[in-house]
Amino acid sequence: MDGSLRPNNLLDEAPLAATCHQPDNAANVAGELWFSSRNRLLKMNLSETDTEPQILREFDEDITCIAGGTDGLVAIGFDNGRIVVERNGDSIEIPSVGRRNLKCPTALIFADGNRLIVCQGSTRVKPSEMTRDLMNLGVTGSVWSLDLNEHHHECLMDQLAFPYGVCFSSNNEEILVSECWRHRILKFHLNKDRPAKAVLKDLQGYPARIFRSVAGETMLCIFAPRNRLIEFVLKEKELRQQMIETIDPQYWIAPALKTGENFLEPLQQGSVKTMNIHKPWAPSFSYGLLVRLDGQENPVASYHSRANGKRHGITSCCEIQGRIFATSKGGDAILELTIDQ
Amino acid sequence: MKLHEALSKARYNYIPDHILGELLTKRWVDNAVPILFLLITITVFANLIPGFLSPQSMSDAGRQMGEFLIIVCGVSIVMIAGGIDLSVGSIYALCALSAVAVVNLLEWPIPAALLVSVLIGGLFGAFNGLLIGFLKLRAFLTTLITFVIGRAIYDIALDHLGTPIQLSYVDSELWDFIGDGSVGLVPVSLIFAAVVLVLAHILLSRSRPGWHITAIGGSRRSAFNTGIDVKKIIFMTYVLSGVCCGIAGFLFGARLNGTGPGTGIGLEILVLTACVVGGISLGGGRGSIAKGMLGGLIVLTINNSLIRMGYHSGTNQMVLGLMLACAVILDIRWLRNRHKVLDKVYIAPVYTSMKPALSALPDSGTEYALNSKLSETELIGAGEIEGPEDVILDQDDHLYCGTRHGDIVRYFAPDYKESEVFVHIGGFPLGLAFDHDTNLMICVGAMGLYSVSPDKDVTRLSAETNRSYLSVVDDARLRDPNDLDIGSDGNIYFTDSTTRYDAHEWATDCVENRPTGRVLVYNPKTGKTKTILRGLNYPNGVCMAHDDESFFFAESWECRVNRYWYRGPNRGKLECVIRDMPGYPDNINRASDGCFWMAWLGMRTPAFDLMLRRPAARRRMTRCLPIDDWLFPNINTGGVVKFDENGRITDALGDLGGKHHPMVTSMREHKGYLYVGGILNNRIGKYRLHDVNENWTGMSSYWGNSV
Repeated sequence: MDGSLRPNNLLDEAPLAATCHQPDNAANVAGELWFSSRNRLLKMNLSETDTEPQILREFDEDITCIAGGTDGLVAIGFDNGRIVVERNGDSIEIPSVGRRNLKCPTALIFADGNRLIVCQGSTRVKPSEMTRDLMNLGVTGSVWSLDLNEHHHECLMDQLAFPYGVCFSSNNEEILVSECWRHRILKFHLNKDRPAKAVLKDLQGYPARIFRSVAGETMLCIFAPRNRLIEFVLKEKELRQQMIETIDPQYWIAPALKTGENFLEPLQQGSVKTMNIHKPWAPSFSYGLLVRLDGQENPVASYHSRANGKRHGITSCCEIQGRIFATSKGGDAILELTIDQ
Repeated sequence: MKLHEALSKARYNYIPDHILGELLTKRWVDNAVPILFLLITITVFANLIPGFLSPQSMSDAGRQMGEFLIIVCGVSIVMIAGGIDLSVGSIYALCALSAVAVVNLLEWPIPAALLVSVLIGGLFGAFNGLLIGFLKLRAFLTTLITFVIGRAIYDIALDHLGTPIQLSYVDSELWDFIGDGSVGLVPVSLIFAAVVLVLAHILLSRSRPGWHITAIGGSRRSAFNTGIDVKKIIFMTYVLSGVCCGIAGFLFGARLNGTGPGTGIGLEILVLTACVVGGISLGGGRGSIAKGMLGGLIVLTINNSLIRMGYHSGTNQMVLGLMLACAVILDIRWLRNRHKVLDKVYIAPVYTSMKPALSALPDSGTEYALNSKLSETELIGAGEIEGPEDVILDQDDHLYCGTRHGDIVRYFAPDYKESEVFVHIGGFPLGLAFDHDTNLMICVGAMGLYSVSPDKDVTRLSAETNRSYLSVVDDARLRDPNDLDIGSDGNIYFTDSTTRYDAHEWATDCVENRPTGRVLVYNPKTGKTKTILRGLNYPNGVCMAHDDESFFFAESWECRVNRYWYRGPNRGKLECVIRDMPGYPDNINRASDGCFWMAWLGMRTPAFDLMLRRPAARRRMTRCLPIDDWLFPNINTGGVVKFDENGRITDALGDLGGKHHPMVTSMREHKGYLYVGGILNNRIGKYRLHDVNENWTGMSSYWGNSV
């Protein structure tokens, strides 16, 4: 509990950069802050305050991930499994990775102007149904390196339990991948043929996107906390099966982006409001947590929105002109963080 | 219903798992193992040894048993005070020798021999007591020293007195009677033992020094801090042990009219084994004379039977040693883990299949659809009152409510800013009702049914009902009296929600879902309480219908409202008027338009409804997870629902954001306002009702305008 993960209210106290519905993946695209919100792609106006984000594009499908590269390169992943790469007005659609269907793009990053690294969370579910993958104990995720010119696809890592974020490590030769359902961060060397190594294990929550700042630090977004009841349900096969078959996913005993909105959601004894107080340390299915890691992937600081907070479901983070922004998908907010070095 | 659910229902609803937990709450369960063991011992040896149960054999065994039990009794007292006495064998032999010597050589009267024997035993006990009690030496070493010294004295004395005693002759009928006589079939020594055991039992369980002994054994330091004279009491226990040896030694002397070099050897191990096998804790503080007696019977029966079967003393010692080892291990493990076992075993969930309910979501368009109207309430006592489960107003518009501190607080009309503690009762005051004379009737959680007069006199009306014959837990006690109402016949009808949990554990009762609640009636004329309905799944709010013949009551965990006719042509009829609600009903009260208000303490969730159909998973959950992580119904959202005499829903109010009233357990309409309380809340809400009779009060509805 103590040390760099000691709880605080920094996310709830952080200045609000913008309010919008379920902001998800924020990315630095040619020095601008782009982010997705359901099926819309938006751009923040950073030079002026108090302006609405500008809508760049609207699609038929929800956007699940975006990445920006050099020379106006943009890659966008969609909930129906498509990835579209746009370069100077041209767009290429990537229908599959290797021989596999693209089903669940969860995170993208450009390695260079020609190479895109793709996290496929699962081969069975769409990104919007990710809790179904957890409840089925899914380990069908993979990470791919796609050569955009020669259409050469290389599978870097396979049989992962929902990879949900990717970034480069400090020396640019390795990638870090967050393996969500196993609560850990893996490190993989791009040019050497050796298995991935877990550099951060037994995380307190389910990791989402990871991002490396210019200063060489890594920001790790944790979108939901681990919860003993959820882990109990994961051990109960029949109960879980019956839950999957008979209950609407939003009312499952599962990690959530936000809670307390609807009385049909499950509730744990410790979360019962007493004397009109919701305890910040109450067990919860949602939480807001952003962890800062140093160059050796050791946690050095953390930013929390606790059980009674609002800014839950932190799914991504990015840096523009030295300023750090994080998206709270559960709290419908984009936050600007102050980083003390 | 699917097959596995049917099996699950059969397994969890018809096999009474809960009885195990209930048995473990009983103190006498500790005695069950030794009793069982004794029965087995007797059965086994009765089959192995011919004539084991014959009167002659029993009588012989009884003679020896008497002496043995007296010593066990003394050592039990020492052990309950947290000590140990290893010197009993030596003291016993010395006392026997002295008794024989007094009778044979000095030719004093027999009572004098008893006196001398007891005196010598007492002196040795006092020596032990002095060293251990006052000089604070270790009991184990000290009594070992006394054992060695006593044995040495005995051996020397026997050298000098042995032969003269053998050569002398005693002609005393009394001496022979004590040694060989019987009253009926009961040997004299056993009668002595019975007297000693009864006296010791009274001392331990019914007297101040006895309680002090147990207190010291439980925690010497705490006993000292509460002012008990620890040194003196410890001294006394060793003296008592010595005295017991004296009596037993005297009986031995009378039986054999002589002693030998082997007298009393190995006795301390036998006695110690007897105490521990009987269930007297080595650490002190836990035990009774009955336990010691049980252990004594077991050990001596085994010991003598093995001798009769021709086994060598080595075998005998081995059996005793193994028994002692097992008993010590059991004692220590059990003592340390008993509460853990109880915690794990007590909750025994049952299978419940909740029928689908109409939605209460705000956009569902059903009659249950909740809104956020209750978030607009005016607040009374916000932040200063804790746990107003029920609220009520008198004819002067003053507002009364209970608190979790056991107070009844009165807020003064008209603005309800000023308040006073009307009375302090204790427990957790829950349901409230005024009778015709403005006496406030209260269901006090964990205590019973109480009445408070306008002059603040508190009277306990009832704390128990009739005991059912087959219940293991004491279901005569009112455990969770929850809500009440007063019938036109003057009787008070009230609910006792569960017999398995205390009032504050009501949510745990929901996780178990075992229907053990009751509806009771208190008759003020006879002062008696009677159970009228049982086996209900958390009966809660009670409200009289307008027909003066029946009342409504909520059955919370079934999400339904029932109606019961207590008199008139339908007397005894029970009917469900509202079933399968989306929320858990709590208190019910009258509304001005002839309808009834019902509070919802929480909402059903799909996940919890599913869990109710999986008792095995629920049981694992309660065993594997700390209680804070258990799945509960969603009691962070409640509401108020209005229904008419036929059970038709006519209105629904909620506080969906949970701003002021996340959970509602009661509401009371009074002069155009609805007063809202919640058991886990720290405020009372005052909600403006529209288009209602603004002169209507609960008091006038029940008792007319004459009040």
